[in-house]
Amino acid sequence: MTGHDAQPDDALVTSTPVGTRRRFFAWVTKIAMGVIGVGLAVPLISYAVAPALKRRESSWNEIGPIDQLPAGEPEQLEFVNSVKDGWRTASVKKVVWAIKQPAGSVVVFSPICPHLGCGFRWDSDDKKFKCPCHGSVYDVTGKVLDGPAPRPLDVLPSKVEQGRLWVTYKQYKSGLDRPVEL
Amino acid sequence: MAGKLYDWFDTRLKLKPLGQTLLDEPIPGGASWIYVFGSATLFLFCLQATTGMFLALYYVPSPDAAYDTVQFIQQEVQFGWFVRGLHHWGASAVMVAIGLHLLQVYLYGAYKRPREVMWMVGIGLLLLMLTFGFTGYLLPWDQNAYWATQVGTNMVASVPFVGDILVRLLRGGESLGALTLSRFFALHTLFLPSLIVGGILLHLFILRRVGPAGPWNEEEARQRSETFYPRQVYMDAVVMLVLFLVLAVLAGTIEFPLADRADPADHTFTPVPEWYFLFFYQLLKYMSGPLEPLATWGLPILVILGLLLLPFLDRNKERRPRSRPVAVFALTMFLVTIFTLLGISIRDLHALPKVDPSLARGKVLFAQHHCLACHSLHGEGGKVGPDLSYVGDRRTDRDWHIRHLRDPASVSPGSIMPKFPLSDREVNDLASFLLSLKGAAADPTKGALDTEATEYAAVPSVGVAWSCRVCLWAEERKELL
Repeated sequence: MTGHDAQPDDALVTSTPVGTRRRFFAWVTKIAMGVIGVGLAVPLISYAVAPALKRRESSWNEIGPIDQLPAGEPEQLEFVNSVKDGWRTASVKKVVWAIKQPAGSVVVFSPICPHLGCGFRWDSDDKKFKCPCHGSVYDVTGKVLDGPAPRPLDVLPSKVEQGRLWVTYKQYKSGLDRPVEL
Repeated sequence: MAGKLYDWFDTRLKLKPLGQTLLDEPIPGGASWIYVFGSATLFLFCLQATTGMFLALYYVPSPDAAYDTVQFIQQEVQFGWFVRGLHHWGASAVMVAIGLHLLQVYLYGAYKRPREVMWMVGIGLLLLMLTFGFTGYLLPWDQNAYWATQVGTNMVASVPFVGDILVRLLRGGESLGALTLSRFFALHTLFLPSLIVGGILLHLFILRRVGPAGPWNEEEARQRSETFYPRQVYMDAVVMLVLFLVLAVLAGTIEFPLADRADPADHTFTPVPEWYFLFFYQLLKYMSGPLEPLATWGLPILVILGLLLLPFLDRNKERRPRSRPVAVFALTMFLVTIFTLLGISIRDLHALPKVDPSLARGKVLFAQHHCLACHSLHGEGGKVGPDLSYVGDRRTDRDWHIRHLRDPASVSPGSIMPKFPLSDREVNDLASFLLSLKGAAADPTKGALDTEATEYAAVPSVGVAWSCRVCLWAEERKELL
C-alpha cells in the first residue's frame, strides 16, 4: 500500500476516505497483513529449516549377551544399525570390536582406523590391531604403537544391561589428533 | 527507508500510475462487506498454494512412500501438523468461499451483460478447484484416499462408449496404483496450478476492464462510488485475517488423522468423499439401473452447462432479486436440494457404527510399530511373541495392558519385548486396540483357552539383537510388498 492521496479524475462522483479515517483503514490493513505474514512465516520457515538442522540421532543398539565374549581378547561383533533418513529408516549392517575387560565391563572400538578410515583387524598371534592400508598398529587398549595414526582407536559409547551389550554407533573424522564426531 | 526505496524504483519503473490504477478503481455504490468473497477466495487460494509448496518439500508421490512421508510431516517435522492442517482446512474453506462468492454474484445479477465472460471464467475456476480437491484427496495414500478415488475413477468408467478409455487415461493404466498417484500429484501440483493462475489472472483482468457490478439497485450505483483503497481493501484484509485465524485454530485443535495405509486388498473399507462432494454421493445412492449414468454424467453436465450459459439463458437486464422471481426460485430449489442431500448424507454417516477413535488410532500404532514382526494375528505375522488374535479374551484388564506396554518385563517376567517409546495416549490407544481383539468363542478353530502360548518363543541365535530383526523383517516385508 503506497498511501498516496491523489484524487482520481472523476473525484466528483468517486469519494475516498481522508484524514484519520483513511489512516485508520490503512493501519488496520497493515496490521492484518502483518499478523498473517508473521503467522505464516514463522511456522513455514521452521518447517522448512528444522529437519535440515536436526542432528542425526544415534540410538542404542543391542548387540547381544556378553557372557560369550572371551575376556581380554577382541571380538568382532556384527549388528544392524537403524539409521533414520528423513521419513524412512534405513537398516545398515555394522561391525564393532568389543573387548571384555577382566572386571567384566566391555570396551568397544569403532572398526575404522583413525588415520584415513580403513578397516583394521586383530592379529591374534601378535596381540595387536593392525591396519593394512598404511601400517598403523595399536595395542589391545587402542594405544598407537606404530605407523601414521594420529590418535588412539575411537571408543564407542557402550553399556551393559542385564548381561547384554548395547552400543551407540558413531563415526569420527579421520586424520585428526582427537576424535571429532561426523 | 521504505519510502526512499519506493521513490528509487518509482523514478525508474513509474510505479505511481500503476498503484493508482490498482487502488483507485471506483466501486459503484461504495465499499461493502458483501464484496469480500472474491478476495477471500483469492486469499485462500494463495494460502493453499503456499502451504502446498511447503508440503511438497517432504512429500513423495509413490505408493511405497506417500503414506510414510505424510506421517513424517504430521508427526516429526516441526509445525508439520500446522502446515498440513492449514492445507486441509483451507481446501474446505476455499469451497465455502467460492460458494458464497457465487451466491453473491448470482443474487446481485452480476453475471449479466457486460460481465458474461467474467462469470464463465469463474465457473471454469470453480471446476478447476473441484479437480484440485479430487486429485489432492488421493495423495496421502491412506484407505480413505485410495477407496474414494477408486469410486471416483469408476464413475468415469460409466461414461457411455468412451468410459473405458477415459478411466485408463485418468488412472494411467488399468488399475489404481503407482501411476495414478504420480499422475494425480503432477496434476495437483503442476498442471492445475498453471491453469488456475492463468484463469485467475483472466478473471481479474476482465474485472478491471468491466469494473465491479456494485449494488443491484442501478440508481444507487450511479449516485456515488468509492475508491477500492482504503475501505474495501481494509474490509478484505479484516476478512482475510479472520479466515487465517479460524484456519489456524482449526489446524491446531481439530485433529485430522490419517486412516490406515491404503490396502487394495481390503474391500471392507467404506470410503467417504470430501463433504463438498457428499451431496452428489448421496444423489447417486438414489439412482440405480439405467438412471445411474444419467445421474453420474447427465445431471452434472447439465448443471455445469446451465451455469456456464446462465448469462445467455437469463437475458433479463433487471438485477434486483425482487424482480427476478424465476431466478430466485431456481436458486432456492437448488440450495434446498443440495443442502437436503448433504444433510441426509451427514446423518447417514453418523448413523454408521462408529469405531472408537482410540481403537482406530491404536490399530494404526500397532501397524506403525511393526508389532506383527513378532506377534501374529489370525495366522499372519511373527512367531517370536504370543499370538494376539484373541488377546482381548485372555487379558481383559486394561491396566494390565497399560503396564505391560510401558514395561513388558514388569508384568510378564522374562519378556524380551522392548519398552517402546510410547506416550500415555499412545499406550492407552494400543490398549484399546488389544482389548478389542476378541471373538475366540465365535471362532470354531480356536478357543480362548487353548491359545495359551502367552510366553515368548525361545530367542534364536544371539549376535543380531532381536529388536533389529524386527526392523529388518519390516524392511524386507516392505520390499516384498
